[in-house]
Amino acid sequence: MKHMRLLAAFAAAMLLTGCGSSGGSESPAAADGYDVDLTQLSSSMVYGQVYDMVNNSESYVGKKVKMKGSFSYYKDEQTGKEYFAVLIADATACCSQGIEFRLKGDPVYPDDYPHVGKEITVTGSFAWYKEDYATYCQLLDAEILPDEGTSDETTNELSWS
Amino acid sequence: MSEQLSTLRYYLEYDFVRNAVIVGLLISLCASLLGVTLVLKRFSFIGDGLSHVAFGAIAVSSVLTFGLRAIGSETTGRLAEVLSENNHTVIVLPLTVLAAVLLLRTGQNTRIKGDAAVAMISVGSLAIGYLLMNRFPSSSNISGDVCSTLFGSTSILTLKGTDVIVCSVMAVIVIATFVVFYNKIFAVTFDESFTRASGVNAGLYNLMIAIITAVIIVISMNLVGSLLISALIIFPALSAMRILRSFRGVVICSAVISVFCAGTGILISILYSTPVGSTIVAADIAVFLIFSLLSMFRKGR
Repeated sequence: MKHMRLLAAFAAAMLLTGCGSSGGSESPAAADGYDVDLTQLSSSMVYGQVYDMVNNSESYVGKKVKMKGSFSYYKDEQTGKEYFAVLIADATACCSQGIEFRLKGDPVYPDDYPHVGKEITVTGSFAWYKEDYATYCQLLDAEILPDEGTSDETTNELSWS
Repeated sequence: MSEQLSTLRYYLEYDFVRNAVIVGLLISLCASLLGVTLVLKRFSFIGDGLSHVAFGAIAVSSVLTFGLRAIGSETTGRLAEVLSENNHTVIVLPLTVLAAVLLLRTGQNTRIKGDAAVAMISVGSLAIGYLLMNRFPSSSNISGDVCSTLFGSTSILTLKGTDVIVCSVMAVIVIATFVVFYNKIFAVTFDESFTRASGVNAGLYNLMIAIITAVIIVISMNLVGSLLISALIIFPALSAMRILRSFRGVVICSAVISVFCAGTGILISILYSTPVGSTIVAADIAVFLIFSLLSMFRKGR
């Protein structure tokens, strides 16, 4: 009987826990006019937030995003399509999340872009598209913000997908 | 300090952080309950063995998903989606439970005994898992996939609402089983022969313990990864045993330590960007050292 009472109390606690967690995603609004400011988060948090943006893309569409990471460039030789992205490594440094961006206007690579591997801050409007089975996120009408004392350590070409 | 507290408060407004904390606390609570029994029954390494089996099963499921997608039909595509959407649990859970039952039978007229069987299944699954992941990669970042599965990486911060519900249901089942069968588990843990002699089906309860252990291992993989699961199971129990002597006292103390270390570990890791699994285990080690010192101090007096 005592065990049953304990069990009932636990089940009630679990129900309350379940009520507190919604199925969709919810992020607090960031300051400085951005809806999502990844530059204000620790790297673990950035990883979790970007993962959430990839998996719940629909709820972020059109939101103004600011992010900081290393610049990456990839050209698909078959289609000739060019991809530009910001990569963010996680705490264990074995995984990284990337968000593609499309700069405003008609910029040309490499003249209008930083070195591959340079740490940059990018802002833009969130959008997403599907290719095969994967969902890709991108920032449209993006701008690379002026350097805020960030490092330019790596010039090795990074790959991303 | 106040700045860190306000940062923490800000982070806790994120859904995925709240999910991580809820799941982390539930998993640690479940693991600690079973931990006491497993340590006392000299099954500390069964957690390690089963977690490696789960790693191998994830690799098998990933290959299966890859194959189903490659076929290209609508039905196989849908099946592949089902597999990947529930983190391969449909395949991983039954395989891990099967391994748990096989390992438990090692003491009963089998040719390969106890620790040898655990070691064999453990390293065998790890090797086959890595081999499959390497030959049939599910993404371009194999080292990332392996690292994420072995060390948990930040996967606890990537849980969806459905993961929280699945984890909560599993936690309710595990805790309910432990509470309802507490007396039987206590009897089987301390004196299996006497339990058998008094007419209780000890084999059935051992099987139940093995299945619950397998369930805990599978749900824990998101938190600390397959290499560190054993720590989640054994450290709180060992710490509690340093200072307490009664089974009930050790179980309760172990649960409190485990939940405290998991909560502290998760919060430290999101504040200071350290790997979640390793931070939780480091907190467990710290508590173990403190309790060992307390025990030495008590004996000294």
